[in-house]
Parts: sequence; structure tokens; C-alpha cells
Amino acid sequence: MTKQNSPLGKNLWFDGEFLHSFTIDNATYSLFPQATPFQLPLKKCSVVGNGGILKKSGCGRQIDQADFVMRCNLPPLSSEYSKDVGSKTQLVTANPSIIEKRFQNLLWSRKTFVDSVKVYNHSYIYMPAFSMKTGTEPSLRVYYTLEDFGANQTVLFANPNFLRDIGKFWKSKGIHAKRLSTGLFLVSAALGLCEEVTIYGFWPFSVDLHGRFISHHYYDNVLPDSGFHAMPEEFLQLWFLHKNGVLRMQLEQCEPLLQSST
Amino acid sequence: MGYSDPSSSRDLLGNRTLFFIFICAFAVVTLLQQILYGRNYLKRGLQFSWQSGEELANWTGTFNFTDDGALKSGSDTGTRYFEFYEGPFEYNSTKCLELRQDIIEVKVLSMVKQTELFDRWKSLQMCKWEMNVTEANLFKSTLSRCCNAPAFLFTTQKNTPLGSKLKYEVDTSGIFHINQEIFRMFPKDMPYYRSQFKKCAVVGNGGILKDSRCGREIDSADFVFRCNLPPISEKYTVDVGVKTDVVTVNPSIITERFHKLEKWRKPFYEVLQVYENASVLLPAFYNTRNTDVSIRVKYVLDDFESQQAVYYFHPQYLINVSRYWLSQGVRAKRISTGLILVTAALELCEEVHLFGFWAFPMNPSGIFITHHYYDNVKPRPGFHAMPSEIFNFLHMHSKGILRVHTGTCSCC
Repeated sequence: MTKQNSPLGKNLWFDGEFLHSFTIDNATYSLFPQATPFQLPLKKCSVVGNGGILKKSGCGRQIDQADFVMRCNLPPLSSEYSKDVGSKTQLVTANPSIIEKRFQNLLWSRKTFVDSVKVYNHSYIYMPAFSMKTGTEPSLRVYYTLEDFGANQTVLFANPNFLRDIGKFWKSKGIHAKRLSTGLFLVSAALGLCEEVTIYGFWPFSVDLHGRFISHHYYDNVLPDSGFHAMPEEFLQLWFLHKNGVLRMQLEQCEPLLQSST
Repeated sequence: MGYSDPSSSRDLLGNRTLFFIFICAFAVVTLLQQILYGRNYLKRGLQFSWQSGEELANWTGTFNFTDDGALKSGSDTGTRYFEFYEGPFEYNSTKCLELRQDIIEVKVLSMVKQTELFDRWKSLQMCKWEMNVTEANLFKSTLSRCCNAPAFLFTTQKNTPLGSKLKYEVDTSGIFHINQEIFRMFPKDMPYYRSQFKKCAVVGNGGILKDSRCGREIDSADFVFRCNLPPISEKYTVDVGVKTDVVTVNPSIITERFHKLEKWRKPFYEVLQVYENASVLLPAFYNTRNTDVSIRVKYVLDDFESQQAVYYFHPQYLINVSRYWLSQGVRAKRISTGLILVTAALELCEEVHLFGFWAFPMNPSGIFITHHYYDNVKPRPGFHAMPSEIFNFLHMHSKGILRVHTGTCSCC
């Protein structure tokens, strides 16, 4: 959402809810940047999913080599993972549900949140604030919190119209789910913003290409609620894009680690 | 007759009779209320119409009597003379004893006209004030029996153990379970003990402080209480000083001015920072609405790594204090923060000085003053019984229990 595309008083419909709309008021409008803050077009982008396939992949360096690194849902970036997932971040998404679960909606202590996003340095935090009615307040609170603490991160709010259009597009391609995953939204956005897109950690199966079992995420093995996302279908679409050369999907281990492990 | 018409005897407990009984009961209850809550209801209603409006509705209905007050003091040259007479009389001189007696014998506020009370108060100003140790100790021991601020002013880990249930002050059905999270926020024990400070100043926010030049005198106190986040910016320093040891925050201010701290928090933090190391005192357990905002204050200060302590009034203390003052004739929905602080100060300090406590639309000389020293926003009517509280302070001043400052300060 920017001041340009969302003028004051504009009425917008939540994209994740049925028949709910909101009007941009003065207080909300003031939180938007004037225009999209990226230098377009971006050259090389890495989109990092959180799939367990990243574990022991050694892709960290390759990911960091990109000009623009996008990550999903505030993933952990501590040193134990940096070899596999890198440490650079330009944009990271955050779901309001995470804010609610991990940070009590930022209603009480906020320092833990501010400390936890410090790993993302000067990055943008991309929040689908206007997808669900319940997500708006926590998302705005992320903005207030980071501003209060003078943090390096900047909050950007996802435009519900953009998210809805992407949803419609993929639905026409045959992805039937309640909602697309953040990863697919991010890949779609990256394809529009970058010249060259490489995606990592997109592998929604419990075994890797060599038949080895992998965890659900590279950092934990908490399985999601079933029936919300249609991951395998999304993966199939991404695989087609990989086949057609629209983007590059990294599934194997990246070179350096392969050598060291053999 | 009774036997021949059975329907008339049945009506003994029939609709009409019951209805009549109800009316009687209602009348009795109303009468009792009149007696209990307004001893001088009739007198007031007949003679001093200004008073009835004053005591209940705070500052509404002021215009019935204000011009009268201004006239009186303007024409009364006798009292005018005393204004410039800088307290030459010793405390124990007969003249002063008389003047003090003049105020003490006003048993209830409505006994005399307000202007008359002002005149008596003004005359008393020419006497030096001294603490009457016996009276003060008597009063303090009463307070320690009813309220016991040194043990119960704040919720502490000692008086509110983990797992206990805290009753709210007004939401009688509301109970707060002390969990680990909240318990951790409480101080181990009361940070202050009985008569710890020699000289305390309790600063009210009354317009009487404006141009009082009392700043330095307030700052010279060992301990300074302030109410409801008052501004102490440079503009006001001469009149109100800067030293603050305890400042109370009304959760309604947080709700209105700071969006319950659900949005930005830094503005609130910056306001608190003005008071430097002052402790922040909140009525978190006054009603259920206050709790969340009050607890959030603690989080805000912790998040910003502030050194300021956050304390919460113990609801039982507030109940006891209200009860005590009710017995002294302060009838209001709620006693003011100022009165609570003064009550606490009387137990924590040897000598208590009150500044900015004057809840009348004009000062003792009959000159109009603003409601607060920083603005003129009138409060919700019928919530506090300010005049009645002030009247009690004047009494206590005359008895030598505390000192009320209503004039300009001589220093600087």
C-alpha cells in the first residue's frame, strides 16, 4: 500500500474475508510510503521458503549473492542456520497470526519483538494487514512498535487488491485452496519485480529427491493445519515455471557443502 | 360489614394494598437516604441554593453566587487590610487561636456562606502556621488504624501473594487472580515506611497555583507527590516546581490521549520521562477497565529500559480511605486522587504541605481562577466532591495537622 495507490478515503475490500471492507482514514494513510520504495527493476532475487530441504543444503552463500533476498514469515536466521539459508534479508513477510501467537499481539511487552527482528537489519517487513479483519490491528501495531523503537526495519502493507488478483490468477491455473501460501505470493511478486528469480526451500514433501526424510521447516517440524494451503499444487505450478525457465528452483544441495560432505 | 362483603377483606393483601405498601416503603427509603446522605438537605435547599449545586455538581451552578462573592470581598475593607499583613502573629497568640476557632467551628460546609468562609480563611493567613504535634499524631494514628499506608498503599509481593485473588475497588464482582506475570511486577515490599520523610509537598493541579511562585518552596520539600501527569514544563516551573517523587496517572488519560498504549508508546514514555526518576502510581485495580492499561505502563517503561518504578494502588487501601473520608462527610462517587495522596502523605511524612488544592472558581480574595493551573477544562460534574474535600483540608490546617498553601509564596 502506498500513498499513490491508496488515496485517503478509498474503500478497500479485505481479500481474505467475505464482504468486509474498510476505508483508509487519516491515521492509516499516514503510515503508507509515498510510492513503492524499491529501485525497479531488481536484478537477481532469492526467494527463500522455509522448507526442510534447506537443512544442510549449504545454500547460504548462494542466497546471499543475490541483490535482493526475500523471506517468509519471520524465519529464524541465527548463526546455526546461516550456512544453509544465508543471513541477508531485504524483505521479510510477517503474518499477523505470528504476531498474535509469538508476541501476544504486541499488547504487552514489545521489546522481544523488536529484538527478534533485529536479525533482518535494514529490511522491509511486508505484512498482509488488510487480508483479514483481525489482522489489521496487529499489523499496524508492528508499524507503531518499530517506529517507537527507532528500528531499522520498515513496515510495508500488502495491497489486498494485489493479493486478490494473484489469488485469482493461480486459481485459474488450478490451485484450489482456501488461501495461497505466503511463498507463492512472494514468488509472484518477485517475478514482477526482478529480472532473475531463484527460489530456495520450496519443497512441500516429507522426503527429499534422494528419498531421505526431511523436517517440515528447516528450523522445526511443526506441521501446519491441514486443508488451508494446497502446497503440492503450488509446487507443481512452480515446477512448471522452473521447466519453462521463468525462474530457477534450487532443490539439490548447493555446491560448497556437497564437496565438503563427500 | 366485613363478613357480608368478603371481597373487601381479601383486598387486605390485594393489589391496592400492596401498591400502597410499596409507596410507603419507597417513601421511607427516600427519607432515610435524605437523612443519611444529606443531613442538611433542607437547610441547604432553603437558604443557600449555591451550596447544593456546589457540593454535588462540582463547579456547575457557579454563576448563582460568584458575583456576590466578588462584591463582598471588594467592599470589605477590613479583610483587605490583612491581605498585606505578612503573618506577624505567632501561632499561639490569642488572635490566631480565635481565627482558627472560627474555621473549626464551621462544622459543615453549608453552615456559612462561601464568602464568609473565604474571609475567615483569608484572615487566618496572617497567622504563622505551626504543626500541632498532638493533633497531628492523633490524626495519624487514626489513619494507621483505618488505612495503614506504609503497608497497604501499593500492591506488593508481601501484601498480595502469588495466587491470591484481588478484589476490585468498584467492580465488586470483579476479581483479579494474581499470576506469576503480574506478581513479578510488584515490589517486594512497600518502598516507604512510616514518617520516612520530614517535609512532603502534595501538589494539586488547581488554578490557584497559577502565578503563585511556589515552585521553589515545592522543590524544597523532601518528597513531592503530583496528580494525574500534570505539565511541569518550563512555563510552569516558577509556580509548581519540577521535583517529583511520585506521580499518579489516571488510566482514563492513557485511554484517551495514548490510545490505551495499543498504538504508539513513545509519546507516553516521553511524557513520563519529564518526571525523571519519579515513580508512577496507577489505580490498576480500581475497576476492570483500568487493569490492562495500567499493566501496559509497566511494560512500556521496561521496554524502554526506564529506571522509573511502577506501583499500583492497593484496592483495599482505596476502599478504606474512601470509607474514612465518607465518615468525615466527603460524599462523592469517588474521592479525588489528591485526597488519596494527602492521606497517604500524612502517614509517610512528618509534615505535609498542600499546594494547588483549592476547588473553587475564585481564590480567597474573590478573584476568578482557572480550573487547573494549565487549562480551564472543567471536570465531569457529580464525580468528585472537591469543595467538601478542600473544606476538610482547611479544617486540618486550622488544627495544625497539615498546611494548605493558597497564597503566593514569599521566597524568590
